[in-house]
Amino acid sequence: MTGEHPALALRGLAKSFDGKVAVAGVDLDVPAGSFYGLLGPNGAGKTTTLSMAVGLLRPDAGGAWVLGHDVWADPVTAKQLLGVMPDGVRLFDRLSGAELLAYHGLLRGMDPAVVDQRAAELLDVLALADAGRTLVVDYSAGMKKKIGLACALLHGPRVLVLDEPFEAVDPVSAALIRDILKRYVAGGGTVVFSSHVMEVVQRLCSHVAILAGGTIKRVGTLEQVRGDRSLEDVFVEVVGGRTATGEELAWLSR
Amino acid sequence: MAVPVTAPASQVRPVSARHFVKLKLRVMGNNFRGQGWRVALFLVGSLIGLWFAVGAFFGLAAPGLAGDDRYALLVAAFAGGLTVLGWLLLPLVFFGVDETLDPARFALLPLSRRTLVTGLFAAALVSVPTVAVLLALSGLVVTAGVFGGWSAALVSAVGVVCGLLLCVAGARAVTGAFASMLRSRRVRDLAAVLLAVLAASLGPLQLAGVAAIQDTDWDRLTGVASVIGWTPLGAPWTVGIDVAQGRAWAAPVKLLITLVTIVALLAWWSRSLESAMVGAASAGPTRARPGVTGGVVAQLFPRAVGRLRRDRFGALVSREARYWWRDARRRANLITIAVVGLFVPVMVNFGGQGFTIDSDQGFSAAGDSSPVLVSLSMLFVGLLAAVTLANQFGFDGSAYAANVVAGVPGRLELRARITAFSLYVLPMLAVVAVVIALVIGEPTWIGFMAGALVATYGAGLAVNSFVSVLGAYSLPETSNPFAMNSGAGVVKGMLTLLAMAATGALAAPMVLAAALLGDTWLWLGLPLGVAYGVGAALLGAYLAGDVLDRRQPELLALVTPRR
Repeated sequence: MTGEHPALALRGLAKSFDGKVAVAGVDLDVPAGSFYGLLGPNGAGKTTTLSMAVGLLRPDAGGAWVLGHDVWADPVTAKQLLGVMPDGVRLFDRLSGAELLAYHGLLRGMDPAVVDQRAAELLDVLALADAGRTLVVDYSAGMKKKIGLACALLHGPRVLVLDEPFEAVDPVSAALIRDILKRYVAGGGTVVFSSHVMEVVQRLCSHVAILAGGTIKRVGTLEQVRGDRSLEDVFVEVVGGRTATGEELAWLSR
Repeated sequence: MAVPVTAPASQVRPVSARHFVKLKLRVMGNNFRGQGWRVALFLVGSLIGLWFAVGAFFGLAAPGLAGDDRYALLVAAFAGGLTVLGWLLLPLVFFGVDETLDPARFALLPLSRRTLVTGLFAAALVSVPTVAVLLALSGLVVTAGVFGGWSAALVSAVGVVCGLLLCVAGARAVTGAFASMLRSRRVRDLAAVLLAVLAASLGPLQLAGVAAIQDTDWDRLTGVASVIGWTPLGAPWTVGIDVAQGRAWAAPVKLLITLVTIVALLAWWSRSLESAMVGAASAGPTRARPGVTGGVVAQLFPRAVGRLRRDRFGALVSREARYWWRDARRRANLITIAVVGLFVPVMVNFGGQGFTIDSDQGFSAAGDSSPVLVSLSMLFVGLLAAVTLANQFGFDGSAYAANVVAGVPGRLELRARITAFSLYVLPMLAVVAVVIALVIGEPTWIGFMAGALVATYGAGLAVNSFVSVLGAYSLPETSNPFAMNSGAGVVKGMLTLLAMAATGALAAPMVLAAALLGDTWLWLGLPLGVAYGVGAALLGAYLAGDVLDRRQPELLALVTPRR
C-alpha cells in the first residue's frame, strides 16, 4: 500500500519567525529506498524544514506526509514510521545511555524484551557499551551523536530523518555511522539527512536537494544535480558565495 | 602594512563596571524586542513593586512623620534586618537570581577577577527589586532627617545605599555558593542540610521577635534593636538614627562594619564565580560505572517504581523520577518544599504562643493554633508543593522534543509527571502532617491535616497542569539552579501568584469544613481530602492533556532556549 507513496513528501512548507522568512515554500519528494541529502549553507532553513517535516515545528503553511500519512493530521501513524535525530536539541541527558535507550524504546510502545535485545546490540555496535552508567551529559560530542542515532533507530522506523548527523563527529565514529546508514538503506529503509559537508553527501547520497534562502534551488539524483562538475562547484554557484580577494584582512598576515 | 597579531598591552583599554551595566541594559532591551506581552508584564511587575515600595517608604518614615523617636531605632533595625535576611534567603527559596549576564560567558575574556566581580556586581544592582528596595528604605532617611537635621539625613542616606549594596552582594554570594555546592554531586546532601539548618534557625528568631512584640516591653525591645544595629544586618540602616540621637561616634564604626561585610561577601562570591565559570565548560566527569547487570529496561526503572509495568507510562514515570533527583534545578525545588513545608506551619501555629509550648494553655488563648489556622498553613504547604510543577516542561528544555517525536498522548504525559513528582512529595507531606501535629501537641489532628494537604496538593496539580502547558517558559541552560532569564522573572512571579490564587480558591472548602464541621471533621477530613485531591489531579490531567495534545510543537518552542 505504501509502495506508491514517496517516503517523505513536503508540499509548500513555509515558516517565518517574527516576520523573518526562514522557509519560503519547500516542495520535496523523497523516493522510498533513497539516501537523500539536504544540502545548504548555514541559516538556509535546513533544520526548520526538517523540524516541520517530522512534527516538531508547526508550519505556517503547507504539509508533510510520511509514506502517505499526514504528519500534522494523523501524527500517530506518521510518527510511528519515523525515526528522528534533531540537531541542537538536547537529549534527556541526565540518563545513562542504556537508560535513554530503554526510555525511547518504551515510549515507542515496544516490547521490553525487544528493547533489551536491540539496545544491547546497538550499544555494542556503536562502541557505547564501555560507557556503562556514565550519564549522557558527560558523553563527548561524538558519543552524543551516536546515542542519538541509536535512539532514532531503536524502533525500526521506515524513514530516518537526521539533522547534521556528521557534525562534530570524529572520522572513526563517522565511518561507523556511514556503515550503519548504508546497511539501513540496503535493507529497504529511507534516509534523509542534512549536511553542508560535500564530501560526505557525494559519497553517500543517491538524491540531493540544495536549499538556500529558504527555497529549494536544485533537486534530483546526485548525477542530475552534479552534472559533469563537482558537487562543491555547483553548490557554491547556486548559493552564490564569494571568494576572498586578499585585499581585506591584511592584518591577519604578519 | 602588517601589524603584530598581539597588540602591546598599552593599547588595551580598561574595562569598567560601566560596560557591564550597559551590556545588561542592552540584553534586557533585546529580550523585550518584538514581545509586547513581555513589556506589558515587566511594566505591571514594576508597578506592583513601586506600589509596595511606596507603602514601605511611608511605613519606615512613620516614626519621623509622627515625631515619636521612641520607635525610630526599632523600626530601622528590624525592618532593615528583615530586608537583608529576605535578600539572602528569598532567592534560594523562591525567586532565583537574575542571571541576565551569565558569568560563564565571560570565561574566555581576558578580565581580571576583580574587574569581573565589580562589573557583575554593578550589573546586578540594575534591577527592579533594587530600585524598589532603595525607594522603600529611603523612608529611614526621612525619619533621620526629622530628628537630626541634614547631617543625620545625609549619613542615613549613605547607610541605606551601603545597606542595599550589602543585600545584593549577600544574595549573589549565597546563591553562588549554594549553586556550586549543588553542582558537585558529592555534597548535594550537605547542601540540603545547610539550607535546612539555615531555615530552621529563622524559626526561633521569628519566635523571639513575636514574643518580644507581645511583651510590649519597649525598653527591652529597643535593647534588642540596638544589638541588631551592631550586626551587619542592622548596621547600615541605623547609622542615621544614631547621629540623630547624639551617638555620632557610632556611625563611622557601623559603616565600617558594613563595608567589611560587603567586601567579604564579594570575595566569597568571587570564589564561587570561578567554579561557576569553569563548571559551565565541564560539569566534571563522573566515574564510569561498568559492570552493569540486567537489561537496559531494568536499568531505567528505579527500585521505588520497580513494580510499574514496562510500558510508556512506566518509562515516563521512571525518567521523571530520576530527573527529580539528578537535575540540580529540580532537586533544589524539592529541598525547598521540604524545608519551607516544615518551618512555615511551625511558625504560623506557634505565632501566639511564644516560647512556651503548653498545649492546655495554648489552646484556649486567642491566636493560637486552631483547626482553621492549621488547615490554612497546610493549604500553604500544598500550594507550594504543587506550584513547583508550574513550569515542569521548562525543566526539560529542548529535550522535550523526544516526547513530541514519539507522539506521547498529553493525558498520559501529565499523569506520569504527576505520579513521579508525587513519589517524592507525598511522603514529604505525610511527614509534615505528622511532625506538625505532634509538635503542636494535637496528634488527633493528623487526619484532617493530611486531608487538607492532599486536597490542596491535588487541586494545585490540576491548576498547574494547565499553567505548565499554557504558560511555559524556557530556563537558561546554565549550571546555576537559581538562574532565570530576565523578563521571565516577572512572568514567573505572575504565573506563580495566579496559580497559587486559583489553587487556594479550589482548596478553600477544606478550610471551611474545618471551621464549620468541628469534631466530625477529625475523622472525615482524611478520606474526603484525599478523594478531593486525587479526583482533582486526575481531572486536571485529563482536561489539560487535551490542550497539550493540540499544543505540543508550540510548547516545545516555548521551552527551547533562544540562542
